[in-house]
Amino acid sequence: MIHTTFSILSGGLVAGAVYALLAMGLVLIYKATRIPNFAYGGMASFLAFFHYNLVTGRRVSLNLDLLYLHIHGGVTVHLSFWAALPVTLAAAALLGWFIERLIIRPFAKASMVTLIIVTLGLNLLLTAVAEQVFGTKDLVVSNAHAIFSRSPVLSLGGVNFTYERLGVVAIVVVLSAGVWAFFRFTATGLAIRAVATDRDVASLLGVSVRQLSVVSWVTGSMVAAVAGVALASIVISSNPGLLFVLSIKGFAAAIVGGMVSFPIAVAAGFGIGIGEELVRQTIVQHDTKLYTGAPEVLTLGAVIVVLALRPRWIFKGIRDDEDTGITGRGGGSELFLVRWIDPVEAYRLLRAAIPTTSPGLRRTTRGIRIGVVAGLALFAVTFPFLPLPAFWTLPANLTLIYLLVVLSFVVLVGWLGQISVAQGAFLAVGGAGVAVCANTLHLPFPLPILGGVLLSIPVSILIGLPALRLRGLHLVVATLAFGLAAERALLPRFSEGGVRVVLPTYMRSDRALYYFFLAVTVVAFVLAGRMKATRVGRSFFAIRDSETVASAYGIRPVRVKLTGFVVSGAIASLAGSMLTYQLGALNAGYGSVAFSIEWLAYSVVAGITSIAGPIIGALFFGLYPELAKSTVSASNISHIQEIFAAVLLIVIMAVNPEGLASMSRFVRSRASAHEDDDGASDAEDLAAIEAAATAERHLEELPLEADADGDIDAEEAALSGAPS
Amino acid sequence: MTGRPIISIAGVRLSFGGVAALDGVDLEVPEGQIVGIIGPNGAGKTTLFDCISGFRRPDSGSITLHGSPQGDVELTSRAPYERTALGIGRTFQNARLFKSMPIRDILRAVQHDRMKRSGFFRSVLGLGGSVLDEQEVTDRADEVLELVGLSAHGDKPAMELSTGMLRLCELAAVVAVRPRLLLLDEPSSGIAQKETEALGPLLRRLAEYLNATLLMIEHDMPLIMGISDTMIAMAGGRVITVGPPAEVREHPEVLTSYLGAKATA
Repeated sequence: MIHTTFSILSGGLVAGAVYALLAMGLVLIYKATRIPNFAYGGMASFLAFFHYNLVTGRRVSLNLDLLYLHIHGGVTVHLSFWAALPVTLAAAALLGWFIERLIIRPFAKASMVTLIIVTLGLNLLLTAVAEQVFGTKDLVVSNAHAIFSRSPVLSLGGVNFTYERLGVVAIVVVLSAGVWAFFRFTATGLAIRAVATDRDVASLLGVSVRQLSVVSWVTGSMVAAVAGVALASIVISSNPGLLFVLSIKGFAAAIVGGMVSFPIAVAAGFGIGIGEELVRQTIVQHDTKLYTGAPEVLTLGAVIVVLALRPRWIFKGIRDDEDTGITGRGGGSELFLVRWIDPVEAYRLLRAAIPTTSPGLRRTTRGIRIGVVAGLALFAVTFPFLPLPAFWTLPANLTLIYLLVVLSFVVLVGWLGQISVAQGAFLAVGGAGVAVCANTLHLPFPLPILGGVLLSIPVSILIGLPALRLRGLHLVVATLAFGLAAERALLPRFSEGGVRVVLPTYMRSDRALYYFFLAVTVVAFVLAGRMKATRVGRSFFAIRDSETVASAYGIRPVRVKLTGFVVSGAIASLAGSMLTYQLGALNAGYGSVAFSIEWLAYSVVAGITSIAGPIIGALFFGLYPELAKSTVSASNISHIQEIFAAVLLIVIMAVNPEGLASMSRFVRSRASAHEDDDGASDAEDLAAIEAAATAERHLEELPLEADADGDIDAEEAALSGAPS
Repeated sequence: MTGRPIISIAGVRLSFGGVAALDGVDLEVPEGQIVGIIGPNGAGKTTLFDCISGFRRPDSGSITLHGSPQGDVELTSRAPYERTALGIGRTFQNARLFKSMPIRDILRAVQHDRMKRSGFFRSVLGLGGSVLDEQEVTDRADEVLELVGLSAHGDKPAMELSTGMLRLCELAAVVAVRPRLLLLDEPSSGIAQKETEALGPLLRRLAEYLNATLLMIEHDMPLIMGISDTMIAMAGGRVITVGPPAEVREHPEVLTSYLGAKATA
């Protein structure tokens, strides 16, 4: 009994200490800047790899070949563990400063949704850069390079405590005390507390919000370095993906602390660590097979429950972001790139350069659009008969599936305004549905796909339920938790267990399968387009723009949100069902949270609110890389594409959150907005009221019970200057 | 004056952390009238609107809507969207709308409750009368757009409108819902004085078009005196007096608490 208690404590404390560290850093940044830093795991893992490379003496090389830019360079460094630490901390400080200055500052006034997408994009960027620079191989910490000796120092109740474990816990305790003292006793700490309470008032009282933002990002980044290094040294083997997964638990702990309370966040970090260990040891004793994913499911499930119940003591310090506003165009235009290339100026230059009048231009652009659509349609229909190399078959089918993946994001994020990073989990749900229907129930071919879609409905409602009470940041964390639970618990059961599905013979030809997928995709798009244009779509937009106003006009947030979750989940499971047939079995890579985040980023870049977005997204980020993968050997896969997409994502969020697909409309509206700035808006207001006055005269002709008061009418017409 | 109330408010209290925003409000709003509410800042006017439209729940007291499709209905436990269905419409002090949607779409979106033949599958597949529903709400949207004179701007997203046009658009949206009781929270705020004078007749006309009772909060005295049939003065979370505009204006407590305060400001 004592043995168990101590071994749970010993294992749980160490993991918990790391979660607590991550939670601390997140709270620090959130308190000072109100930014939920979803890139924190990426920062920690980047810095852990940086440190690891210094210690192992791996050659750090940079090879870039982009158009005219050829950079080939590398240094081999080899430092001892402790010598590498200050270098890593310095690099962390630099990284924090760099991120704050270049990426975060332009978004100072952006909406919560924008901040979430930007930091998710930053996470993608950091992970991809880490993989590009340091390689995708797992980081393996040998005993010699470990942070502390693994030899036992003390034995309690038969459990050995090592220096390593005690050391990590000691670091957390010392750092927590330091952070607590920092907030309690220093002027900067006081300033951050002031900013956390009320940003505007604090800045009126002379607190430099910008300076605090820098301080918090630099310090937070250094905390991330410590957490990353500590984590890397205790888990023995890790990769960026794993570190990200672990950082989500740090996020969960920070959330339990309401993102603002250090003591609760630290305690919650330890709680999650010990809880997981408890679950692990309890279940392993009974059944090892059951263990897969169980700690994640239980602890993250607990976090979702905490979030959904929203106890007062947690959430009193949290501002409730009313307008999720993904289409909010305010904010981010201070990004340095935008200052260089003003889209409005560019548009004016373009207009000046093209001599045609505006209707002509509109005809031309419309002609181009119709041409492109017709060309794509022709290509899609005739594709199997085109003289293309055989390796095009798989990428083409996958592209059709990616189209649906992006569409599911468009429906949920773009139209309904709810961010979810659990879409990958729906691919897995679709796959699981297909596997069960085909192998267990022995249903004939197209039916298992339907089964996969139907299975998604209860799952969507399950995910949608927390969404009824959660917004923005909390919703993302809840879906992260769900996605992670699915990735850890659902995927291994269906992908590694070798559950295979077999197509009937008549579908085994490449052409048959391609046309089947094409037909399904086209139908899904047509129906989604119909939905957008009718009552259901309009309710989505209303909820997206403002839940409060929507309910003032009789729209039911609960019903509309659940509908959106179900539709989006069904589309993603449809993609998952098709994918399972395409690959013959469910592939774990497609169900992960990382896959969801990556495709969320691609969807936003391509155009999250437009039905054209998925086409751009699937072609650029689906077809092209899949083709590249088919031609290049697996070891040569570059992460440049992900890096490019992540940078593009951040720029797009700064310029136009609606993405590439609506760029032309956006530029037009910006141009007209500039014109409004020149003319007084009063004049326009007056014109509007004038028009109203004129309209009233029309109204008298309408068969209405209009008890017109002639005096008022005349008076009003005189006032508004309308000719009577 | 019909005398018959459309809504009865009895003993409504609501405090925020010890401060009584509403300190026992008793009020009957006569049906078919234009009723103006005046009062200094912090008098509890908007809080009262929030209680009627369901965005805040009073600590105690009752709010009863008379003559709704479901008869007399006690409102306090109903969600905002249920109250909309019962015939209560409201606008917001800062003209809040769905900022990214084109105006015509906003006006169609707010009529979704009218689209009885447009369930999810029927709308998406275009079956079972949903096309007719679409046509009806589109016609209605165009009619309301014309009513407020925004026909030329139907395709503009709300966020591109000036404040004055946004006000008109908000009025159009709430009219499109066809409420029996229309709550307007400072319809003149944010628009210039000159335009405010044209607003009065427009509001009167909208009330007539809907055949609705109009309850409005307004700081612009000429506007509210000009169009109200009955005026209510509030201060300190309480109703001070109710009566014809001329009487209310001369009421001694109104003079001290509201106009007096305004004069010194």
